[in-house]
Amino acid sequence: MSGTPLDKIRNIGITAHIDAGKTTTTERILYYTGVSHKIGEVHDGNTTTDYMDQERERGITITSAAVTCEWKNHRINIIDTPGHIDFNIEVNRSLRVLDGAVFIIEGVAGVQPQSETNWRLADRYNVPRVIFINKLDRTGADFYRAFATLKEKLDIVALPLQLPIGIEDQFVGVIDLVEMKAIVWEGGELGAKFHDEAIPADLLEKAKEHRQILLDTALAVDDAGMEEYFDKGDVSVETLKRAIKTGTISGAFRPVLCGTAFKNKGVQPLLDAVLDYLPSPVDVPGIKVAAEEGEEEGDHQRRIKADPKAPFAGLAFKIINDKYGTLTFVRVYAGTLKSGDSVLNTTKGHKERIGRMFQMHADKRAEIKEVIAGDIAAFVGLKDTGTGDTLAAAEDPVILERMAFPVPVIDISVEPRTKEAVEKMTLALQKLAGEDPSLRLRTDQETGQTILSGMGELHLEIIIDRLKREYGVEANIGAPQVAYRETISRTHTETYTHKKQSGGSGQYAEVKIIFEPLDRNEGVVFENKVVGGAVPKEYIPAVEKGIKVQADTGVLAGFPTVDFKYTLVDGKYHDVDSSALAFEIAAKACFREGMKKANPIILEPIMDVEITTPQDHVGDVVGDLNRRRGMIQNQESSGSTIIVRAQVPLKEMFGYISNLRSMTKGRASFTMQFHHYDPVPRNIADEIMAKSA
Amino acid sequence: MRLRWARGRGTIETTTGPRASEWLGLDDAGNPIARVIHLEGPVQTEHGVFRAIALDQEAKLIRLLPLPPADGDWLAVIGGRVVGRAAAPLAAVRRAEAAL
Repeated sequence: MSGTPLDKIRNIGITAHIDAGKTTTTERILYYTGVSHKIGEVHDGNTTTDYMDQERERGITITSAAVTCEWKNHRINIIDTPGHIDFNIEVNRSLRVLDGAVFIIEGVAGVQPQSETNWRLADRYNVPRVIFINKLDRTGADFYRAFATLKEKLDIVALPLQLPIGIEDQFVGVIDLVEMKAIVWEGGELGAKFHDEAIPADLLEKAKEHRQILLDTALAVDDAGMEEYFDKGDVSVETLKRAIKTGTISGAFRPVLCGTAFKNKGVQPLLDAVLDYLPSPVDVPGIKVAAEEGEEEGDHQRRIKADPKAPFAGLAFKIINDKYGTLTFVRVYAGTLKSGDSVLNTTKGHKERIGRMFQMHADKRAEIKEVIAGDIAAFVGLKDTGTGDTLAAAEDPVILERMAFPVPVIDISVEPRTKEAVEKMTLALQKLAGEDPSLRLRTDQETGQTILSGMGELHLEIIIDRLKREYGVEANIGAPQVAYRETISRTHTETYTHKKQSGGSGQYAEVKIIFEPLDRNEGVVFENKVVGGAVPKEYIPAVEKGIKVQADTGVLAGFPTVDFKYTLVDGKYHDVDSSALAFEIAAKACFREGMKKANPIILEPIMDVEITTPQDHVGDVVGDLNRRRGMIQNQESSGSTIIVRAQVPLKEMFGYISNLRSMTKGRASFTMQFHHYDPVPRNIADEIMAKSA
Repeated sequence: MRLRWARGRGTIETTTGPRASEWLGLDDAGNPIARVIHLEGPVQTEHGVFRAIALDQEAKLIRLLPLPPADGDWLAVIGGRVVGRAAAPLAAVRRAEAAL
């Protein structure tokens, strides 16, 4: 893209719990690196990365936005991600393609539930991280308490590289433990000016104590550094930084910095830490090539290293549709690609021609002619490439490790206000679902209604709003419904014969299928064990299609059936009367009959709920959770408040916020996120079935 | 007593082949009189799985610990005796020197 050497590129994400200050920190980074000439504020609705109307109106980040800046001769590509759990897909796909992340936690609350979720996601993709304890200017901020929550909740070796000087409104700067100096910010100039000075005398002992911890921990991963220490009794700043970088990349420990982005303190050293400790594309082991079917995943999998001269390999991780067409965001892992080149979409097995290419700056774009290993760019003109697809050179058609997408838990029915808008709405929803893999679209086979499934009420509300604003489709929506699923709890073998041979061209097909339950989240698995051509090969796809279509409408209450295996073991056909259609019909009927006898059950989403309440309302909150079929997991006190953690069925959580507010006079708050699917109790299942009848 | 410390064995033969890190504390004559040692990865033996280990000069096992101890899995060893534990090698070195 540019002449920046690979070792001077950083591809990083900024991730955290909602309202921890991700967008505010990104805004300061853009200001201090000279990309923007004034600082936008979330509450003023004028930040660079929150460019959607809905983001500016609501003061939250909904979609991840990519921006690029330069700092000390390095290029930093940053993706600012949303904090709200409903938009977790954005964090997921960003972390998948980044080499490192800045993980922000709040100086008052410490690690919050969404911080934990994002942390685990970053673990899944082995993303090296530096932690920034933000908002140290806030009343109630406590660096050491927030720091302690890193160990308690994330179970990590957190390693302070800085200590705060002052706290709350007295917070003026930080002690840099690597160089053993104080960094103090001056007033005015929006924090751009700061100076070094000696560590304040009253903090010197504490600083020495923490520097020893830093040396102990960091040098444990650097034998040459240990030797230098034994030789000289200390190590150079260069050696210490090298050791910290090694430990950060391996995950042996997580460096911790601090400040207050809103009050413009601590951001410049954070940028230095991004350069010093987070990896460049050449410092990481390379992305894994997907395991072959049946092959176990592990360290033996081939990795693609960042090399501009290698055959091209890239991963499409985000799609957006705007007035200019479809933009496909691609992380380039290897090779070089020019506009006009062709590549293979190895996931789908077809060729794609690259039209124009852009470097994105939030919603603005700059055309580029070439991308190389390590770059993140947006391509225009790809015909059929979706999120998670690999683009690769024909001479090395690799498929990169796939992305995992979250399970939608809430359904709403949606129908256009006018008949004329039906087609327009369907096309618009298909485009929106193409952009967002956590949004699913299906048609209810019985009612013919379009059902949208999403991650939460806010997620679906934003989609309906976009439908109206971006596509001009006014739609009526049903009340949010729990996204129930159906499955089976015992194995059953069913034989079904479909026969219509009453003169003229007839229909004949017989299938014998074993239906078996699978563990949660294993999906639907098909196996063909037919021998001797009892069901001719050309009819097997029709059997699969029949089951797939019918599984969308479960036998109990019409919800999609999941987590089962079906094995086609036998069947019969007729030379003249058998057809693909006859086998599809037979498979559908076999499913309907077989599932009923395989002890079908309804599954419901169970949510992890965390409520923060003043101590005097704990009794009410816990009692109310019990009435909602909640299982209390634990309670923890934090100052004068209590944090109650519970697992509660989603069905019982609709409208919870107003109840909680009235119970606690508006003093409690809660967060929730999907945890797992569980069978619903018999009485609830009866209610659900009666409603669907 | 301050010692001169030098890299010890990078790899120690065990049945499952985990990597061990070892530092030797040398006296003025250059003789190893203390060591700090840490084993990465569990060791599987017929008696179970062990997470931390100490070995003597002949690489004979002198201590096996089923879990990384809360006070650290770097062991400070003098002769055949574990004299302290720490979360990091430098801290274990200080424990060994303090015990001399």
